[in-house]
This record gives sequence, structure tokens and C-alpha cells, in this order.
Amino acid sequence: MRIELAGQALQLLPEGAVWWPEQDALLVADLHLGKDQVFRRHGMAVPASVLDGELKRLDQLLAAHPARELIVLGDLVHAPPEPGEDWPDVIAKWRGDHAGLAMGVVLGNHDRSLAAQLRAWDMSDLGECCERGGLALVHATDLDRPRPGLSGHLHPVARLRAGPERLRLPVFARRDQHLILPAFGRFTGGHDLGGDPTWQCLAAAGHRVVALG
Amino acid sequence: MSHPAERYLDGLGLAPQEFQRATWSAWAEGESGLIHAPTGTGKTLAVWGGPLADGLERPPRGLAWLWITPLRALAVDTARSLDAPLEALGADWRVGLRTGDTSTSARRKLREAPPPALVTTPESLSLMLSYADADRRLGRLRGVIVDEWHELLGNKRGVLLELALSRLLALNPGLQVWGLSATLGNLDEAMEALLGPGRRGRLIAGDLRRDIDVETLLPPTVERFPQSGRTGLVQLPGVIRAIERAGSTLLFTNTRSQAELWFRAIESVAPFAGEVALHHGSIDRKSRLRAEAGLRDGSLRCVVATSSLDLGVDFSPVDQVIQVGSPKGIARLMQRAGRSGHRPGQRAKLLCVPTHALEILEIAAAREKMAAGEVEARPPPEGCLDVIAQHLVTVALGSGFREAAMREEIADTRVGRALRPEQWQWLLDFVTRGGPALKAYPDFRRVEIDPDGVYRVAHRRIARMHRMSVGTITADASLQVRFKHGARLGHIEERFLTRLKPGETFIFAGRALKLERIRDMTAYVRASNSNKASVPRWAGGRLPLSTLLADSLLDLLQRYERGEALPADAAAVAPLLAEQSRRSALPGPDRLVVERIASREGAHLYLFPFAGRLAHEGLAALLAWRIGQRTPRTFSLTVNDYGVELVSQQPVPLDLPSLRDLLSPDHLLADTLAALNASEMARHRFRDIARIAGLVFQGYPGRQKGARQVHASSGLMFDVLSEHDPANPLLDQSRREVLEAELEFSRLEACLNALAGREAIITEPGRLTPLAFPLWADRLRGQLSSEQWEDRLERMLARIDREPTRKSA
Repeated sequence: MRIELAGQALQLLPEGAVWWPEQDALLVADLHLGKDQVFRRHGMAVPASVLDGELKRLDQLLAAHPARELIVLGDLVHAPPEPGEDWPDVIAKWRGDHAGLAMGVVLGNHDRSLAAQLRAWDMSDLGECCERGGLALVHATDLDRPRPGLSGHLHPVARLRAGPERLRLPVFARRDQHLILPAFGRFTGGHDLGGDPTWQCLAAAGHRVVALG
Repeated sequence: MSHPAERYLDGLGLAPQEFQRATWSAWAEGESGLIHAPTGTGKTLAVWGGPLADGLERPPRGLAWLWITPLRALAVDTARSLDAPLEALGADWRVGLRTGDTSTSARRKLREAPPPALVTTPESLSLMLSYADADRRLGRLRGVIVDEWHELLGNKRGVLLELALSRLLALNPGLQVWGLSATLGNLDEAMEALLGPGRRGRLIAGDLRRDIDVETLLPPTVERFPQSGRTGLVQLPGVIRAIERAGSTLLFTNTRSQAELWFRAIESVAPFAGEVALHHGSIDRKSRLRAEAGLRDGSLRCVVATSSLDLGVDFSPVDQVIQVGSPKGIARLMQRAGRSGHRPGQRAKLLCVPTHALEILEIAAAREKMAAGEVEARPPPEGCLDVIAQHLVTVALGSGFREAAMREEIADTRVGRALRPEQWQWLLDFVTRGGPALKAYPDFRRVEIDPDGVYRVAHRRIARMHRMSVGTITADASLQVRFKHGARLGHIEERFLTRLKPGETFIFAGRALKLERIRDMTAYVRASNSNKASVPRWAGGRLPLSTLLADSLLDLLQRYERGEALPADAAAVAPLLAEQSRRSALPGPDRLVVERIASREGAHLYLFPFAGRLAHEGLAALLAWRIGQRTPRTFSLTVNDYGVELVSQQPVPLDLPSLRDLLSPDHLLADTLAALNASEMARHRFRDIARIAGLVFQGYPGRQKGARQVHASSGLMFDVLSEHDPANPLLDQSRREVLEAELEFSRLEACLNALAGREAIITEPGRLTPLAFPLWADRLRGQLSSEQWEDRLERMLARIDREPTRKSA
């Protein structure tokens, strides 16, 4: 699905990412890498292949779009790595496979004290806010007065219900000239925006993006 | 010398009953067993007589007896009633109390100087097993008594208790275990679950011949076209007269919203308005206790209640019980009737208030089954790998366990008797390394195997988290309701409150309230004068018609058709039955009736299998899916306890052979899973399983995750496991549980098997029949606003009575 924000053409991808042709950039938000590790440390059995799955989905996106840059709109990781954990090495190896790609991270609330780690992963630190082509890229927007631009943080989803059946879909949420991306990470929660008429929900459903309501 | 319990009764001027003597002597002989009898017949003293006598003969040092109660709110009352004979007989000890409400300092005291007997809950017992000295402290128990076993038997709390009991029996094979239960249709299973499949016990029947009079308050006119979902308030004058005639009345409704409506109605018209109170599970505990006390001391004439008053030991009997709506089951009818006239020889009185014409039949059918001594079964849950996993971590955290011994212990329980070797291996893998694949869960830690081969929990953080998660009850997402500067009124489900906008009015705790705002899991309200208020609909309030009662109902229909006399109250429904028979046909134990009519809305297909609302949900989805496989169609589906309605734009070609195909029990599971978005439903169900098995954590006290958050993280967990560990048996368990819980799958299966052997009649009545009418009306109500609905209803009724009938077989 194509939309326009402040004059910029953007393509919303069913994978929950945004392709920005003018900038040759792919945008994703809220990967929360390493969250499975946090859970296992606390005695909750989450498989480690969660991380491989997220990286593989990024690979597929990068293969389908001629991106020069990958921009993460915050919450790249769930928590900074602890000594002895090997998931940062898995990410470093994945990064090595995409050496020609520029990668920038807008810092999210989960990315605190991550500067050294970002350097080690060869990712640039974009601070808490940066501007591209007239659009503000932030992690969390002011929900009541969103500026023209893109953000993440909210993990928007819409819940649908018919009889005993239930469905929960990640959505892009749009209001005026602002777009909130769904969480790209699969192992993340969601905030139900289905009942809020001030935001238009564009659901990432299967192989397409559809406008709800 | 007489038994001490007999001496105690003698002091009260009472003589022991036969079953009490039988229990005392069985106890003295070291036996275990199960006593079943209605409430208020002396079960407590029957089973407590054993420890009383034993305690006088061999004064216990340390903890000797546990009394397990399902509700911690009952624990205080229970302890008091156990103390009474101790005091009368001059024993120098009293009963202790340990529940979730017990303070930390009181718990420490209980550990340092344990009383000879302790009243506690299944969860607290599990928690006791999680302490390192559990063997020493619990190994010298002489007996365990499980009160209200029927309340635990059918759910996972019962499974948790079963496992804890097997641990206690392993520590002390001579332990005596006794259960107290209401009458059940599956007493053998109840005994097996309590004692384990390998042990024999004594089954003792209490005084079962307690007489119950069930009367029906017939409405002034009995409609030929009944509507379900009514409040029954048209019967208010008759109910008020009945309340005035008796000294004290308990009025039961089936749902909390109905209780709210009835309370408001009685309060606004009755001359005794100030002497009425409301009692249901969402209402603040203090107000509930006030209502109970008021009924006891005579300051209240009437308490309007839901199942919140089905339990309770020290609840003094009332003069009369009124049941609004069908009780939907015989056990529930007996339980509620038992709240009146406790004195020996006194008859229990129950006045039933049908809310629509067919409920008159349900009540008559229930009364007949009750008179015949038949009552529903409560099948214990099967499988439950989540509960077993939790128990394994509990024991690892307590005394630790060795694999072979633990395997035997689990095999010794009803839930574990059929555990396959690969399931056992999975359980061990799950608690020690997350799952069977060696590298799938790096750095996972929970249970570790020490060099001696003992399974233990080594990490303090894991220990702390596990103790906080013991149990199988998942809190519903509910918000506290309170005035801005004042009283707490109770709890309402989040789903209802978040749908309201600030400024809107709703009825709760018997008042009209205006929502101010919601903050920190609290809804702040103020009193409102508005008449346009909505009543919260609480989930899970409506039980489906029980199979036993449904079968009895079909029997009544058959007897009517054969020209036999109906019970007096049921005879009032005869015109309706005649109408049904004239326009179409009457369903019966050997006959399925299928009706087809066409209207401006489309083609309507009705089936009346009488299998209960939940199984009908499954049936409707299944039929729609199977029909759609042949000719794609969109259906609108509606169900009630008697049947299903499918509406489509184009009629469904249907003859008897194709009907048989549609109702075939073959491939039922696969077709049902395909018909419903079962994985989405299972995802929802996974919340409980994930929490019990320790896959999600509810958080530390004080900073607890909201139920909604736990739900969110368990949904995530479901997705992650489905993608990365699809063979995880907990996923399969949630699929099976969701089908059972939401669709009564095993009942649907039994229903289709039974239908295969029944005659089927397809009729074309031309217009709605009395049985089809409530389904039609229910669907409309879901579609239209209430005013439109009323109008269309009247028009439709007018038309039905004018037009002629066609019939074919």
C-alpha cells in the first residue's frame, strides 16, 4: 500500500516495515532483540530461534528492496546484553553479511547505554530524533499532537472479533501526517488501537496491507 | 465408652446419624474415603469425629491434620465450626489457619509452633510443599480432609490438590484421606481422583432423603412463542408476595446482571425495600459479609444472590429459596434448595420463577430427575501437563526429587495414570532445560539436577518467582469500582468498563453509577439519577443446560406426544407444545427435528438437538463449514440451549441423506478445527496454561502485571512456540482445552453419535415455530437496536398467527 506523508511517498509493507524509495531506505521499529534471552534467564522457556527468525525476516526484506540504508525507529534490543551471552555475536555475524548496508538506530527507551554496543555492531547512533526529507524520525511520538514523520514504540494492533472467533493483527496507525509502525519483532506485545477513531488502522494481514474501518 | 463426637452431639441434645457413626468407625480403623451428602446434614462432624477421638487418645505433637477448603473466605468459618467440639470436649488445642490472607508473621508462627490441625487451601498446601523442610513437617500428618471436593474435582485446582496429596501419601503411606462432597453423578471418579487409582476407600452416603419441595411460580399468561434472554420481571408481583409470606428469603439468579436488575426492581416497589440486599461475586467483600450477617440476624428479609452464595458453611438456613430462571442442572437446583430449612425433618422449599415458557418445562424436568435421585457428573480434567509441570518445580524447590520415585508418585494419581513415557520425558526436559532440543533454550534455568541425581531449584530468583506463581487460578482482568472519596463497591471486568465512556451510566452493586474516569486499574464513579443505564454483562455467567436435564426435557416432550399426563405446572405449556406439533413436529429422545423456512431475510434452517448452548455453538460452526464445502455460502449463526439457526441468502439443498452427511461424527475433530479459527481461540486459552506451567509470570506483589498484560505475554508465547517449537505439547493441550471449554467438544461428539441413531424429520412449517422463535428473536436482538427489535417482534408475531402451515416429512 502506498501512502504520502508531508509530500513523501512511502510504501507500507505487509511485513510491518516501510519502504521509502526517495531515500532508498527501509524502516522498521521495535525489534526487541534479545528479549527471549531475558525470559530464559528468568526461568521461562522461550526458544532462542526467535532471534534467528527476526534476522531472517530482515534478510528477506533486504533481498526484496534495493535498500542503501536500514533505519530502526527505536528499541533495537530489549535489554543490553549481559556478560557471557552470545546473542550479540549472532547479530554481529548477521551485520557482517550486510557490510555494504548503512544502518542507523533512533534510540528507544530500551536502547539505553547501548552506544558502545552499536559501535561494535557498526550501526550509527541517530540520537532520539533525526530528520530525513522533511519527516521527523522518532521512537515515541506525542499521541495527541503527532508531528509529520514516523515513529514506533506503541506496537499498535487491532483486535477483531466475530462470534467465537478472534483475530489480532499488527497495524500501521496513521493520523494526519504521522505514521506509527507496528513492532517488527514477533516476540513483542501490542497496544489495541482498534477502538480509537482518531487513528486510522492499516493492518498488515498476510500478503497485503488493508485499511480497517 | 461413647465416641467423643457423640458426647458432643449429646450435649447439644442431638443423636448421631447412622452415616456419622459409620464414618467414625471407618476412621478409627485407619480407612480413607468419601462422604457424599447435601449441605447441612452433618458431614463436618462425621469426618471431624475421627481426629477428635484420635486427638484425645494420642495427643498430637506437631501438625497432624490438614483441612482443605476451596474458598479462603470459608476458612475462618470452618475453623470456628471445628473448634466448637474441641472446646466443648475440653481439648487443650485449637485449629490453626493458613491461607493466602494469612500474614507473614502469622505464617512464621505456624511454622515455629504448628497447631495439631490446620485449615488451608489447595494453593497454600502446594506452597507448603515448596519449602525445604516439607518432608519433615508434612511427613507426620495423620490425616487430610478435603471439604467441598465437588467444587475442586472438575477443575485444575483439583488436579493440583491430587498431585499434592500423592506427595503426602508418598511421604506417609499410612495417611488417611477423606473427602466431603455434594451428591455427584460420578462418585467413583471423585474417589479415584482423591485417593489415587491404586487405593480403595469407603464411600459413605449421608442422609440423602432430605425432602425438597420444588414449586413453580406460573406467569399470568403462558406465551406460545417464548423468548429467551428475558429477565422474568413480569413475575415481580408474585415474587414480592412470596417474599412477604416468608420470614427470610434467598433469591438466586443465574447471572450477575440478572441479580442487579432483580435487586433494583424489588427495591423500587417492595414495601420492605430497606430489608433487601445484593450479593454477587463482583461485589465488595464487606458488603457481601453484611448481607450474610443481615440474613442471619433477621434484619434482612431478602438477599438477591448468584452462585456466590452456593458455597458457605456457616450460612444459616432461610425460610425459602427462590430461583429465577431455570437452574440448568439438577446439582445446582439441589445445592440452592439446600439453603433453606436446615433443621432435621424440615422440608427444603424452593420456588422457581421461569423467565419464559420453556423454562416451565425445564423446571418440571429437573424436579423429576431430582426425585429420581439422579444428578450430573463432574468429570475431572485430563492431561494437564501444565499443572504437573508446576508440581514438579514445587517439589524440586521443596525437598527435591529423584526421577524414578517421582515418576511412580505421578503415576499414582488419576491425572498421571495414563502419562506416556514421552510425555514424562518432555516434562523433565521442560522444567530442566526448557524443551527437548538441547540447544533450543540456552541459559535457561529453572530446575537443575545435582551431582546425586536430585532435581532441585538452585536459584533464589527462580524460587521466589515460583512461590508467587503457585496455583491454577488466573485472575480475570477486572477493575475496582469505587467512589472518588469513599467506599469501594467491588470489581467489574475490564472489558465492560473500557467500553463505557466517562459520563455514561451503569448499574452495579444495586445503584446507578456514572463513570468519572479510569486510572490505575480503578474506575471512579459517582451516584447517578439517570434511568438510561446499562448493566454489565459478566462473562461465564450462563451455564449450558446439562445433558441430564436436557434428556429429561426430551422425555417430557415424548410423554406429552404419547398423550401421557404432564406434571401440573408443565401442563401450562401444553398449548405451546400443541402449536409446535401442529406446525412442525416435537423433538424427542429418538427424534431430531429440522425446520426450514424462507423469509425476507433469507433461508432459515433450524435444528433442535437439545445439546446445550456451547455444543450448539460448535455444531452451528461445523454445519456452516460443511455446507460451505459443497456450495460456498455465508451464514449468520444463532444458538440457544435447544437448537441452532443458520440463515443464508440462498436456501441449502437438504434431504435426509445429505442431512445425515452433514451431521456425521466422522472427521469431527478435524472439521471443527477447520470450521473455527481454532488457533486464535487456543491462543486466548493459552493464558491459563502458560501461567500454570510457568511460561509467563504474573509479577511481584505490589507491582503485579495486570491480567491484560499476562494475557498479552501468553498470547506472544503462544505465537513464538507455534513458530519455533510447534511440537510443544502445551500447544496441543490448549487446543483440546479450548474446544472442551468453549464448545463442550466431547458433548458435541456424543450428540452427533446419538443423532446418527435417531429418526430425523425435516419440516417446512412456512413460518416460525415456538421452538424456532426464540432463536430468531435472539439473532435480531444482536443485529438491531432495542426499539427496532421490539417493533419488528410485534409485527412478526402478528404475522405468524395469521398465516397457514405446511408440513412435510
